[in-house]
Amino acid sequence: MNSRTIFSLVFIGLGLIIAAIPQNTTHPYKISAEDLLIEANSRTQYFSPEELAVLLINKDPSIQMIDVRDPEEYEKYSLPNAINIPLSSLLTDEWVDFIDQDVKMNIFYSNGSLKANEAWLITRQLGYENNYVLEGGLNYWAEAILNPEAPASTSPNEEFAKYDFRKGASMALGGGALTSSSSSSSAAKPKITPRAKKKRAAGGC
Amino acid sequence: MGPLVVNGIISADTNLLMAFLIGIGFGFVLEGSGFSSSRKLAGVFYGYDTVVLKVFFTAAITAMVGLLFMSLFGWIDLDLVYINPTYLPSAIAGGVIMGVGFIMGGFCPGTSFCGLAIGKIDAMLFVAGLFVGVLIFTEGYPLWEEFYKSGFKGIPKLSESLGLSDGLLAFGVIVVALGMFYVGEWTEKRFPRKEY
Repeated sequence: MNSRTIFSLVFIGLGLIIAAIPQNTTHPYKISAEDLLIEANSRTQYFSPEELAVLLINKDPSIQMIDVRDPEEYEKYSLPNAINIPLSSLLTDEWVDFIDQDVKMNIFYSNGSLKANEAWLITRQLGYENNYVLEGGLNYWAEAILNPEAPASTSPNEEFAKYDFRKGASMALGGGALTSSSSSSSAAKPKITPRAKKKRAAGGC
Repeated sequence: MGPLVVNGIISADTNLLMAFLIGIGFGFVLEGSGFSSSRKLAGVFYGYDTVVLKVFFTAAITAMVGLLFMSLFGWIDLDLVYINPTYLPSAIAGGVIMGVGFIMGGFCPGTSFCGLAIGKIDAMLFVAGLFVGVLIFTEGYPLWEEFYKSGFKGIPKLSESLGLSDGLLAFGVIVVALGMFYVGEWTEKRFPRKEY
């Protein structure tokens, strides 16, 4: 065999291998720090309480609430149909299929927005999409939706419209429950069905 | 792991140093393959010498297969590798200008510097022309800015446009390239020309 035939055969062989093997789609560093900063500054990851209230009242199937607080806090109070993924176990195998998926919009929430934002940053850094944050967290949620304060009588009409909406949402979502302090206020917790693991070419080479 | 500079494994300066070393290697191979002779490049268009075609396509398929395998092993994230964005009309116009320059001058930008380095006068003229072209383009930029930026297509990949996997397309390119090599050798026999 002359060198040309060998060269041709080697390349055809390599080509056949690369054509037959599924693409490697793992991205160890999907987003650069600069891009992440731009994204975080644009605040597109936030859902306002009002936006979330509309989705929850409509029982929108495209959202998945994720409570990133500790299990005890989650037991005390949680939003409708929220699942509990404590921040410390965010990256365990158990939950990776919930946070790395392209079907639902995950909305992280915590008491403030700090923990939820941490969860968002971590998942975003890993290149996962469809993860969002409840703006202001549960504290703001309780203040704005569950126990809305009536605006001063001199306020513009928009403020009253907002108040009416919040009051309506409050009734629909069982507001006032927080004031009766920590009696098990949330309804039955959603059942978590473990999802079938996606097959991945795991490391070990 | 890779791309090294994007992931901060090496600094931008180290990156330039590596580019410098690779550039020297590139020039060495160009000169070694005889690319500093303008007849070699013009030969592709007349069919008597297809070394240029073979060398560049060999480089292309080697880099392609190498990158795909490195991606497979997790050594490089292909999504972070820079791909030129496509502006269709200016790409076509640029291709035509470059092609005409190829035939007329007998050099491509890389080989002209190779020729310059060994003191070829036609290469010196070609490089001078290159700088004139750069000057005209930059000084007249407002005139063709609109055309230059028209027809933006994003960064389409051939494999995505054809709905194939990268690997399958790579195999196709390898087969086409090898086919071209054999056709090239055939035209060399068909349209011979004495080297002088």
